[in-house]
Amino acid sequence: MIAGNGQIAVETRQLVKRFGRFTAVDRLDLSIQRGETYGMLGPNGSGKTTAIKMLCGLLKPTSGEALVLGEKAGHRSVRPRVGYMPQDIALYVDLTVHDNIRLYGEIYGMSRGDIEREEHELLSFVDLEEWRNASISTLSGGMQHRVSLACSLLHRPEVLFLDEPTVGVDPELRASFWEYFEALRERGVTVIITTHYMDEANNCSRIGLLRNGQLIAEGSPREVVESAGAANLEEAFLRLAQRRQS
Amino acid sequence: MNPRRAFAVTRRILTGLHHDRRTIALIVIAPILSMFIFGIAFSGSVSNVAVGVVNQDDGLVSLGIISNLDDDTLDIHYVDDVEAAVVEVEDGDSWAAIVFPPGFTASVMAKVNGDSNAGSTAITVRADKSNVNVAIEVIRAVTDAAMQTMTQQGRELPISVEDEPVYGEGADFMDFFVPGIMAFAVFLLTTLLTLLSFVGERTSGTLERLRASPIRESEIVVGYAIAFGVIGMLQASLLLVIATLVFDITIVGNPFLAYLIIALLAVVSVSLGILLSSAAKREAQAVQFIPLIILPTFLLAGIFWPIEAIPSWLRPLSYVIPPSYAVEGMRSVMLRGWGFGGIWIEVVALLGFALVFLFLSVKSLQRTSA
Repeated sequence: MIAGNGQIAVETRQLVKRFGRFTAVDRLDLSIQRGETYGMLGPNGSGKTTAIKMLCGLLKPTSGEALVLGEKAGHRSVRPRVGYMPQDIALYVDLTVHDNIRLYGEIYGMSRGDIEREEHELLSFVDLEEWRNASISTLSGGMQHRVSLACSLLHRPEVLFLDEPTVGVDPELRASFWEYFEALRERGVTVIITTHYMDEANNCSRIGLLRNGQLIAEGSPREVVESAGAANLEEAFLRLAQRRQS
Repeated sequence: MNPRRAFAVTRRILTGLHHDRRTIALIVIAPILSMFIFGIAFSGSVSNVAVGVVNQDDGLVSLGIISNLDDDTLDIHYVDDVEAAVVEVEDGDSWAAIVFPPGFTASVMAKVNGDSNAGSTAITVRADKSNVNVAIEVIRAVTDAAMQTMTQQGRELPISVEDEPVYGEGADFMDFFVPGIMAFAVFLLTTLLTLLSFVGERTSGTLERLRASPIRESEIVVGYAIAFGVIGMLQASLLLVIATLVFDITIVGNPFLAYLIIALLAVVSVSLGILLSSAAKREAQAVQFIPLIILPTFLLAGIFWPIEAIPSWLRPLSYVIPPSYAVEGMRSVMLRGWGFGGIWIEVVALLGFALVFLFLSVKSLQRTSA
């Protein structure tokens, strides 16, 4: 049994998820401190999304344990303190930007005043203020991504799970996303982010490299690069993967 | 249960509809179209209709007519007095009482011999015309039997058939048809809209986002049920207005009881839609459920012909499909004018279906996380 520690935001021990005979996540041990920006890196199919889904309580682990803020992952008491941005846009495309934001605000038990205040701040951050009353279906993919991010930040979560938040987002906006994640980290929010863009990972305080569901390296981006004797993260990943294979 | 969260779901559905003209058109046009097409085009035949025969005569002519009654159409039993036979009809235990007056044979013979002062030679049919199809078939069967008896006797007999309805005085096919089609339209459309809407929630990832939030599965289901309950009642109102203004139908009973039945049926349909959605990964798969929903309802729910007239081996199926109870309940309220006391079995059955289906749909949502 893992002891709930006030300083630890996310902890897993020997976490396994199998789909039939396929092992998506294989004996994953994580310990992420509060206020960290933790990047889960790996190619498609390495188990990043499955791990995030178990941490949000959307998938039941086959074995092992996962704790978020000292509670079992996905427990009802922890859900209001957690934010989740799925890989899909996951918005009601028949509703406006404002309707979507209000729905999630109400679901998270926010007052009307709080919803309006946060909505104003977030829409100005994602640069969509003038699209407030536009239907989601009329927005571009990048814009929809920004609304999706706003919906997951609305209730000011303590832990934020972002599954590939920068896919399909232009470089300029990607840079501003990372600035915002840094601002969240300074506010004490723990951000767990999955990405397969190795260059983005330099913005994380710590990273974990995943391959075939296993954690093959962990540490600050510099530590991981140095331990592999590589010039950059991409090279580090390839070297570490080769070492595993041989 | 947090009502605010459930209402947030309700509002998101209704607001979504506001932007979705195609669905609004489906909600408004489909039931009207169904009513026109089926009301004009449909004609069915019935069999095994329970009728009580009261023979106060026991003469040759009445016995001849009774023996000529078509026993495919009618399921005959004998009742001693008129009052008891009418009570059976009033209670819904039989569809009609066929009454031969005392001295019927003697009066017929007297009239044949030119005695204009002879007694009544009329066979009275006291039918439950809440199902017009059935009532017409009963009267036709009696008239045919009388004609056949005359042919056997080789002469014209002064026999008449009098129609004195127990329920549905002045009712025509549309009066009978409207309650059934209201239930059918609400059941079909609510199930389909929920099914498609929920498959959309699953495929777009919104359901997953909801499930990571503090909302409970029961709040999602109740939110849906309220939204579609409201939509169902609006459809019912629309149909009632059109049926009254265009088709001039008669509503004997309390319309609020009809709304209660429609609302319950909508809740049953919502939960059925959610349940079915767990078996469909994409919209295209969900559409395949349509015949599964339509056909049994169409054939077995008593919309066009009474459940009593369905072959007995198929009849148990009628009692396990929820619209059967809604159709029967609506007809009892609108045509027979029955109050809650007369339809409580249907209400309890629908409530039971609603509770079981709601429970199962909540469970199906919880199971998704496994």
